[in-house]
Amino acid sequence: MSDIINANPTILNPSDLPTRHSESRKKQSSSTHIADKISRLPNSKSLLYDPFSSSPGDDSAYSSGGSEDDDEEDDDETAEDIDEQEIYDLISTISDPEHPLSLGELAVINLPHIHVTHGQPTPQNPHPMSHVLVEITPTINHCSLATVIGLGVRVRLEQALPPRFRIDVRIREGTHQSTDQVNKQLNDKERVAAACENETLMGVLSNMLATCK
Amino acid sequence: MTLKLVGSFPVQPDRVWCAAPHPHLPLVATASTDRAVRIYSLRDFSLVSTIEGGHKRSIRSISWKPNAKGESVLATGSFDSSTGIWHREERGTDANGEQSPESNSEEREEDEEWRFAVVLDGHDSEVKSVAWSAGGSFLATCSRDKTVWIWEDMGNENYETIAVLQDHSQDVKMVAWHPEEELLASSSYDDTVRLYKEDTDDWVCCAVLAGHTSTVWSISFESNGHQSRLASASDDQTVKIWYRKPKADEEEAPKQPPSIIKGTADETENWEEQSTLPKVHTRTIYSVDWSKKTGLIATAGGDGQIIVYKEVYTEKDGEVANVDSEASKEWKVVAQVPAAHGVYEINSVTWCPKWDKQGTKTDGELLLSTGDDGIVNIFEFSA
Repeated sequence: MSDIINANPTILNPSDLPTRHSESRKKQSSSTHIADKISRLPNSKSLLYDPFSSSPGDDSAYSSGGSEDDDEEDDDETAEDIDEQEIYDLISTISDPEHPLSLGELAVINLPHIHVTHGQPTPQNPHPMSHVLVEITPTINHCSLATVIGLGVRVRLEQALPPRFRIDVRIREGTHQSTDQVNKQLNDKERVAAACENETLMGVLSNMLATCK
Repeated sequence: MTLKLVGSFPVQPDRVWCAAPHPHLPLVATASTDRAVRIYSLRDFSLVSTIEGGHKRSIRSISWKPNAKGESVLATGSFDSSTGIWHREERGTDANGEQSPESNSEEREEDEEWRFAVVLDGHDSEVKSVAWSAGGSFLATCSRDKTVWIWEDMGNENYETIAVLQDHSQDVKMVAWHPEEELLASSSYDDTVRLYKEDTDDWVCCAVLAGHTSTVWSISFESNGHQSRLASASDDQTVKIWYRKPKADEEEAPKQPPSIIKGTADETENWEEQSTLPKVHTRTIYSVDWSKKTGLIATAGGDGQIIVYKEVYTEKDGEVANVDSEASKEWKVVAQVPAAHGVYEINSVTWCPKWDKQGTKTDGELLLSTGDDGIVNIFEFSA
């Protein structure tokens, strides 16, 4: 990238980033407990170490493999199992398109700005939806890369989460000049679908997502 | 009243954008992300043919040409910015499209010779919707490039661009023609619906329907001969009904005398919002379809629900009041299917006739829905 838009972003110390310190959540069976731990392990690793030190094999980790694991988990466990921390782990390791830093380190993704709700099954509707709202904070208020970052977050979540999730990605109010315009684009299903067939854009996105997991 | 699932087509593993029933044969075509068109039989719900190779990206929209004599003609709109026209000869159908009995058995075994006849290039970005006019002479296409194009079928596979309409300020999501008149509607990411017609030599925007507060994803005209109405479905989670106001001096005459004053095109059509349907959807509404047969309106969207609305006379204290007055009608939810595609979003709903196994049209009606699960579900509506 020739012109750096924000040359001096504020960077958080990786050790200050939110992680799940205690495994206090109760589990239904020991086997899923272990599976859950294993699936979370690479996430916390990449938070603690340099996100760019990943081995070449990691490049494919964000794609199909990850989502299959989540699907299996979904069958075994209750809907409550995916929470804000898990969403944070999925997206905070995405790389910024112009800095060699993660969206977590740049405080573009913040745990308090992730909201997850789960619908309850009813006799009329045995397939309730879950909802995740991610509010992103661009590093500067005229950041033209806000749309690309938002798209990266959306694509990452669409690939990793089970299909019952409805995903809303928004720019946090008051942090960007054209919040409404960017929000409308990021949540237009057809535009996102078409963008995902654009090879140039997908090249940028896959570089950003290469540091996940 | 209920919608009962009577069958489904497992199209492909990924998103199916829409399904379009053939104008007179028991067939339905689907548009999907795998760049293929699939044609299914509505007699036994089996796959009849798969058409591939014409587009480089997802096929977003599909439309059958009405009144195509001796052949079937399909238009496909793709994210690759092009529109495709496909032909197949229909042996055994007469001019009225009625099938002769012998052709029924023949239809299944014949080698489906779909021919990619013409590519219509011109749009700068993804084509979002394609639609043939009721008479089949015009094809409208719209795109993320903010334009609506009208192509005229000149015969012999020649198509001429007769209008490039640039009235919208953002992506145009859908185009739809009036069922009887040469009146075109388009809906957009700019939150409006626009209507166009030919004014002497030029196609012009003759009305703007503003009222939605977000993207208008889908539009559908009412088909009932004596009045003109349009339903629109939006990202704002509402469905609105718009109606054409008759001119004060000519109540029953929709046809205007030719205007002698130039630049009054905007006044030749006067459309107003009539009502907003009871709000049920909790996410973006991607599709609305107004049944030509029953007048019922079906909607579906991101919340995975299918809703059917019916217009009824308002009851007051248990009695139907004022049967003659238009104002005494209201829309009610008469059927609701939650999770019609499981946990997946629904991209389109389309009414179509019900056919029996012999290929005869019955009195019944089916509702087809297409989802992100790659499936077309077939519902039967019963009162």
